[in-house]
Amino acid sequence: MNIQEYIESGILETYLAGELDHEEMLAVDKMAAQHPEISEELTRLRESIVRYARVAHKEPGRRVLTHVLNAIEEEEKGEEKPAPGKPVGSTGNSNNPGIFSTWSMAATFLLLVSIGFNFYFFSELQNAEGLVKELAQEKTFLSERAKTTTQQLDYANLRIAHFLNGDNIHVRMDGSEISPSSFANVFWNRKTNAVFISVDNLPEPPHGHQYQLWAIKEGQPPIDAGIFDHNALVQELKVIRGEVRAFAVTLEKEGGTQYATVEKTYVKGFLKKS
Amino acid sequence: MSTEVRHIAQKVSIDEQIVSLLQAKDKRALHLIYEHYAPVLINVILRVVRDKPMAEDVFQEALLKVWKNSHSYNAEKGSLFTWLTRVCRNAAIDKTRSKDFRQTEKSKTAVDLVSITGLSDREDVEHLYMHQLVDQLPVIQRKLIDLAYFQGYTQKEIAEKLDMPLGTVKTRIRLALKHLRSII
Repeated sequence: MNIQEYIESGILETYLAGELDHEEMLAVDKMAAQHPEISEELTRLRESIVRYARVAHKEPGRRVLTHVLNAIEEEEKGEEKPAPGKPVGSTGNSNNPGIFSTWSMAATFLLLVSIGFNFYFFSELQNAEGLVKELAQEKTFLSERAKTTTQQLDYANLRIAHFLNGDNIHVRMDGSEISPSSFANVFWNRKTNAVFISVDNLPEPPHGHQYQLWAIKEGQPPIDAGIFDHNALVQELKVIRGEVRAFAVTLEKEGGTQYATVEKTYVKGFLKKS
Repeated sequence: MSTEVRHIAQKVSIDEQIVSLLQAKDKRALHLIYEHYAPVLINVILRVVRDKPMAEDVFQEALLKVWKNSHSYNAEKGSLFTWLTRVCRNAAIDKTRSKDFRQTEKSKTAVDLVSITGLSDREDVEHLYMHQLVDQLPVIQRKLIDLAYFQGYTQKEIAEKLDMPLGTVKTRIRLALKHLRSII
């Protein structure tokens, strides 16, 4: 079995779930020892389970660790008290190991402690780096969200303002056969004759294309009411005067066109007869 | 810190750190075990004792054993996880033989093990963000992760509980973890 197949067999997930018996676990360990990809995969899987536990509050309480540490400390205190009749640190005994051995033991101990510290600080450093990275990602995420939210709010306010404006004629344009779920709204100001479009739900235009709004009067070809940016939600377009019966949006080549491509009508809406 | 040192630091795995700290009788080893293994080990214990508070007690006992018997770990024989699992399993089995366990078993009716996750003081911004990420996991995937990794269910038990073929459970757990890994 190749390594990829082994990883994909699901055995690593079973291993981490604690479902394998001791011998089976040792077999996985053997594979992991031989193939760094496997041991890396195991570490990554385990870390995501542990992180998930943290996020989903499935971690055991800290008190467990505190209890263990306290219990160890208690025991250590007990051990520090010299047992009666057994002097501690006596060097007079000729059976004691040689002085070099004592020194080397001490040196080994110090070395181990020092290695321990190094590992600890390295790990702290890595944790801190991880945290900085996470926070940076989070910051980007939040500021992006704040930006979008502000834009949406501005849009909503503008839209409400247009709805509330008594001078505006509101026309809802519904999706045509080529795009039934689309819709957009037009606000036409009776006094200034300015036309505003609110882009609500139109598909992303293909590259090199743009949407164009048309005003439709009886017995005339559609009148260009302006091209608009699909990403800007509420926009002021051209000034249209006269007896408009309907508004429609077509998809045109970038820059717009003089004559509407009627087959490419995405949304259309009629004015209410007054 | 020089890049060289950092390079070395990154090469030292968590397991190696834990083992050397344990051998140096440094209690930070226990902190690291807790940090990187606690939920998985509790799950191992839950498979045996089937009771969350009891599983935490057993874990406590197991950690003490880890501390006392740290010299018995041999990296050449198997991984740290395998060793920790064995210590935890044995502690759990010891527990099931105790009087304490039998009494709890008697008084326990069919309690659903689903834990109610209350708000804690760690409900900070980072957590909220992570929560949003985790919320992207489909409900069924979360359920599978929950059963397999936090409630000590075997794949067979999950298959029965959710009325799914065993093979499907296996594949879906794998997919769920893959998905989880991609978001957190």
